[in-house]
Amino acid sequence: MAQPKKATLEDIKKLEGKKSQESMEIDQHMIHLFTECIGDPNPVWKKGIVPPGFITAAMVSGGAMVLGIPIPFPRSVAGGADWEFLRPLKAGDTLNTTHEFFELQDKSSDKGPRALMVYKSTHKNQKGELIAVSTNTIMSY
Amino acid sequence: MAQLYFEDVKEGMDLPVVEKLPTTKTLVQWAGASGDYFELHYDKDFAQKLGFPGPIVHGRLESAFLTQLLTDWIGEKGELKKMSVQYRGNAFPGNKLTLGGKVTKKSVEGGQNLVELQIWVKNHEGKEITPGTAVVALPKKK
Repeated sequence: MAQPKKATLEDIKKLEGKKSQESMEIDQHMIHLFTECIGDPNPVWKKGIVPPGFITAAMVSGGAMVLGIPIPFPRSVAGGADWEFLRPLKAGDTLNTTHEFFELQDKSSDKGPRALMVYKSTHKNQKGELIAVSTNTIMSY
Repeated sequence: MAQLYFEDVKEGMDLPVVEKLPTTKTLVQWAGASGDYFELHYDKDFAQKLGFPGPIVHGRLESAFLTQLLTDWIGEKGELKKMSVQYRGNAFPGNKLTLGGKVTKKSVEGGQNLVELQIWVKNHEGKEITPGTAVVALPKKK
């Protein structure tokens, strides 16, 4: 994920609801790069079926990278994520994703400053069919 | 790979363990394959400025490893329906990661044969750094 510039909690709160859309055509080479990197030799992925794990890739479900929302504190790391896989995706399909900066949660305490930044992404194919939905949480501290 | 059927699964059973050894090269490959070019994952100076001893393994790469744990187990006719993870610790290139899972529940809902699981990534010291849950659907035998 990217490390955008810092801003106040109030500034960031105002950005809740900000959305961005992106589109990519999935080809067999992208599937190959993905499976080679993670070391997944499953022959199914050579048949043009996109591994569900591909949706975990930052370029697919990493709204934090795309939206460029500033962070409130000096450091940021991935906090967690979840995915719901609704339809299979095949090589040749176009994946249209809408990312939304969903909310900022101030979790600061006497231990120090901390905030959770929650992003939601919706992934559809070229027919408008829902492929997956995902949530991604970044922790800034 | 052998096909797993709903009848083969029992609550409490363990998934076959998968081991991974992400290297610095793996992190560079993942940056290219996933589009995540955050310097924390390949620039030692940058990582140290943020207080880390060096570049850390991408949490999403661990998530991708976990999807492989699941798709290996469920076979071609199984479906990964949901997965959720929390990143609670860091892994570093060159450290062996051990991925595992355990069946927590079986149910039939809406005509689907669902299996719920706990899943995890443990670091080289056996510490659970990325716990999570998953739901898969499996075929039944004829």
